[in-house]
Amino acid sequence: MPAAEILLDRSMPIQNTDFDLIQRIAAGDEDALRILYAAYGQRLYAYAIRRTGDRSLADEVVQDSLVAVWQGAPRFRGEGRVIAWLLGIVHHKALNALRGRNVLPLPDGDGVNEPQDPAPSPAERADRREQRRQLLAAMAQLSGEHRTVLDLVFYQGLSLAETAEVCGCPVGTIKSRLAYAKACLRGVLTRLGYSAEELV
Amino acid sequence: MSEHLKVNDLLPFYAAGSLDDARRREVENHLPTCEECLLDLELWAGVSVEIGKSNRLVTAPPALAARALMRVRTRLGLAGACLRTAQLLRAQSFLVQGEIWPASAAVMALGVIVALVSNHVEFVYFIAPLVAAASLTMLFGPANDPAYELVLATPTSPWKVLLARLSLVFGYNLLLSLIASLVLLVTVPPGLLGTLILGWLGPMAFLSALALLLSLWIGTPNAIAIAYILWIAQHVPYKSIGMWMEPLAWEPVVLSYQQFWHSPLLLCTLSILLVGIALWSTNRPAFGLSQRP
Repeated sequence: MPAAEILLDRSMPIQNTDFDLIQRIAAGDEDALRILYAAYGQRLYAYAIRRTGDRSLADEVVQDSLVAVWQGAPRFRGEGRVIAWLLGIVHHKALNALRGRNVLPLPDGDGVNEPQDPAPSPAERADRREQRRQLLAAMAQLSGEHRTVLDLVFYQGLSLAETAEVCGCPVGTIKSRLAYAKACLRGVLTRLGYSAEELV
Repeated sequence: MSEHLKVNDLLPFYAAGSLDDARRREVENHLPTCEECLLDLELWAGVSVEIGKSNRLVTAPPALAARALMRVRTRLGLAGACLRTAQLLRAQSFLVQGEIWPASAAVMALGVIVALVSNHVEFVYFIAPLVAAASLTMLFGPANDPAYELVLATPTSPWKVLLARLSLVFGYNLLLSLIASLVLLVTVPPGLLGTLILGWLGPMAFLSALALLLSLWIGTPNAIAIAYILWIAQHVPYKSIGMWMEPLAWEPVVLSYQQFWHSPLLLCTLSILLVGIALWSTNRPAFGLSQRP
């Protein structure tokens, strides 16, 4: 369920609610942009961070994207989901921002204190942490493009067609990137002595 | 495609929970019968959990919307428009095919050398429109633009994108031709510089605009071929051909056609009209722009 729906009217259909929000932005309603950001800002910012690898650059990218949303809202025709449109804008702005810069993507977790799951025993937790560390190490081997596709599919919840639209490439390319990512992860994990079922 | 391959392609989206009911059932019916898909699903489920965790650690700064709105308010007016235009031009300069720049410069330099060595300054007049027309056929559309689908996904209108690229590339060709004309001052009296520039300016503008429009409608190779034929046709020595053929009944037409290419005002006016049609065409799927290569 899009967060925009929670902030507006729960009885309204999802797509209509988001589309209405964009229409309000197109009409110059500043509150609508604030609601949109409250609804999708977290996802947009996470994607911007993933693409740029730099928090201040991600700030800039998301701001630029919101300005572009403000300017582009009158042309949004509601043919796809709003989140895919928004992510497409962030993707494009991030590409522009990265030109001429040499920024490495942030590692997963980025050293932020993470809440621990209280249920497992200390030994189980240690084992899970190690397994997770190995999977993260395997994911770190992926290129930015492959990792972007994983983010769009698994965190943003986009469909195959939407992922292709955001990345600006054919659907077949997204399938190839997923297949490559799978092969790469499996290869790294096998080398490290793990099987996939140990990771879940 | 076999059922296994089809379901295997769906597994990441199944793990992410983004499949519709019908496809989800399809996956669930297949999974108990396929060990490989089960293993893949376990891998994707692990990936999904980790990606979810790592993204949840990110917190979006709450003030970004307010800052964006402040920028929106301050950007209104002439200064804002100029800033946006500059940003658009800068962004598009990276998306124009990179080989256009050195190729145009190299051909123009070659033309100047030939003109100087052969002492035929009109060679620059001949070559400048050809260089400009060829480069403008590679500006836009699925066949020429590696970022075409991305362009369509952004809020900047396709016509603005095309106008920005047109300005960049035509401006570049204009600059090259001006430099070439200045170099020719080695052999041409300075008083004739204006005549020299007017000589190529009109044809260059018209042929470029025509080539751009045709490239949007019928593709780059056809556009280049037609533009070049139209341009070269005026230089065909019809009178020499007439020595072996019947006298040309359509000689007045030939003369008018040649005269057409020497009418800068008419050519520039038509160029503006053609560019207008080209910009309008970018939003019209009927002209083939929406087709994928």
